[in-house]
Amino acid sequence: MQQRSPLLPALGFISPVQLFVGLVIFVPALYVFWLSLTQSSFGQAPVFVGLANYARVLADPYFWKALVNTVIVVLIVVHVELLLGLGMALLFASGVPFRPLLLAAVLAPYAVSEVSAVVMWRFLFDPDVGLATQALAALGLPPLEWAVVPSHGLVLVSLLSIWLHLPFTFVILYAARLAIPNELYEAAQVDGAGGFAQFRRITLPLLVPAMLIAMLFRYIFAFRLFSEVWLMTGGGPARQTEVLAVYLYLEAFRYNAFGDAAATGWLLVIASLILALWYLRRLYREMFATYAP
Amino acid sequence: MRRNPLRIALKTLAILVVLAWSLVPIAMIVLSSFKADRDIFAVPPRFTFTPTLVNYVALWDRWGDFFKGLLNSLIITAGATIVAVLASAIAGYAYSRFRHKVLAGSAFFLIFIRLIPPIVVTLPLFPIVNWLGLNDTHLVLIILYATFFVSLGTLVMRTFIDQIPKEIDEAAHLDGASRLQVLFKLILPLSAQGMVAVAVFVIVYAWNEFLFAFIFTTTRAKTAPLVISEMIGAVEGVEWGVLFAASTIQLLPILLFVVLAQKHLVAGLTAGSTKG
Repeated sequence: MQQRSPLLPALGFISPVQLFVGLVIFVPALYVFWLSLTQSSFGQAPVFVGLANYARVLADPYFWKALVNTVIVVLIVVHVELLLGLGMALLFASGVPFRPLLLAAVLAPYAVSEVSAVVMWRFLFDPDVGLATQALAALGLPPLEWAVVPSHGLVLVSLLSIWLHLPFTFVILYAARLAIPNELYEAAQVDGAGGFAQFRRITLPLLVPAMLIAMLFRYIFAFRLFSEVWLMTGGGPARQTEVLAVYLYLEAFRYNAFGDAAATGWLLVIASLILALWYLRRLYREMFATYAP
Repeated sequence: MRRNPLRIALKTLAILVVLAWSLVPIAMIVLSSFKADRDIFAVPPRFTFTPTLVNYVALWDRWGDFFKGLLNSLIITAGATIVAVLASAIAGYAYSRFRHKVLAGSAFFLIFIRLIPPIVVTLPLFPIVNWLGLNDTHLVLIILYATFFVSLGTLVMRTFIDQIPKEIDEAAHLDGASRLQVLFKLILPLSAQGMVAVAVFVIVYAWNEFLFAFIFTTTRAKTAPLVISEMIGAVEGVEWGVLFAASTIQLLPILLFVVLAQKHLVAGLTAGSTKG
């Protein structure tokens, strides 16, 4: 059935969604671009300043600190999630007892708000009474001084982020693993391939697309990290644990530098677009192949 | 598979580690919410203790805001879910059944838009929301939460509606049913599973969201997570027991919901990420 359908009713059906997205996200995002080229503050008329805001942001050491922190946290979080998620997917696929119950346990962090998760992890690593602090001490390891040492703060933020988002990566990889036909493994066994060879020759290559998708989504979402950092360290001590979204928030809502914040915002958008370029290209072709062959 | 004892031991260990990793943080705050201060701060930690409701009583006495916040969260979650599910289902129908160049472009646009970080749009929206007098209202959060999930929701709905045979629509059209009748009487009931999957996403997101609530609400429409964040920030004097009680109340209903809706959550996550 490849006949063209009438456009008007289709437009009617998609218009609520398109209006929401257009008016609440797209138009404001374009306006942010305009803001990023102007000098303005609350109640002031914006004045066009060209790329001055970008120049100022790019010359601000706090921006670079926030950028480096963001990149470090994103790289740690996404890749550790991918490894753990893969391990868990394979564990579940190899057959586990009480599967529905175990699955529920593994998905549980998905239900936890960032705020409650911060409560949990702050208390786990409380310097005096935290369970994790005591466990580290029992093993003869030094405590995580997350409130004092910036790098420790970022480690705790990463741990918390991994904990919150692992269910997503796990589900994507587990579903992809279940979609691999069993006959492939049976055939491999007939050919005498051992467990590791099966993993390397069948599981891993067939999971690559799902791994790429999971990573892409997590790169994009981890890049906007805000609440975890804001509630855990507030960007401190001395602005040393800020990430880009926190930097943007402070520029806009604390220092009233809307132009700088807007420039930071567009740098965030551009970074997301670059990350997703290959995916967007593939999707663009796919969409036109589906809807306008 | 051979029953190798070492293999079984390793696997059991792996399962235990996974369980501990997922559940210990949650169990810790739920259990601690029933502990008196001396048990919360005991070193080494106490696993047996006399349960008490003092923290819940203190929460009720001193943080009345929190219960107002729960009610706000409930209203906003319900509103955002209804709006997002309906809009996504209708659009999902169009993307499943119609073919046109404009649809290709607009479907691409829907996915493209997900790349824009929410914090970026708060910059222009903050003054606009103020100007419209919508600051600190349920409505502004309902609109924002619904908007940030309609694109994923539409994709998920399209995947589910694609599985309904087109012959069913065609037969109904031959019987003289209009498109709206086909949509509301046939497609929506048949794609109820998809709507539940979308609802699960929106409910979890709207119930837990922090950033927008933090920027757009201050007193009247303040949500439960925002009140908890105020308790965390209560300068140096964090009352852990009360905080645990609040977190437990905020967490348990949604946790129960996710466990019960597990099947739909998994179906939605896979439908939303593999197709587009």
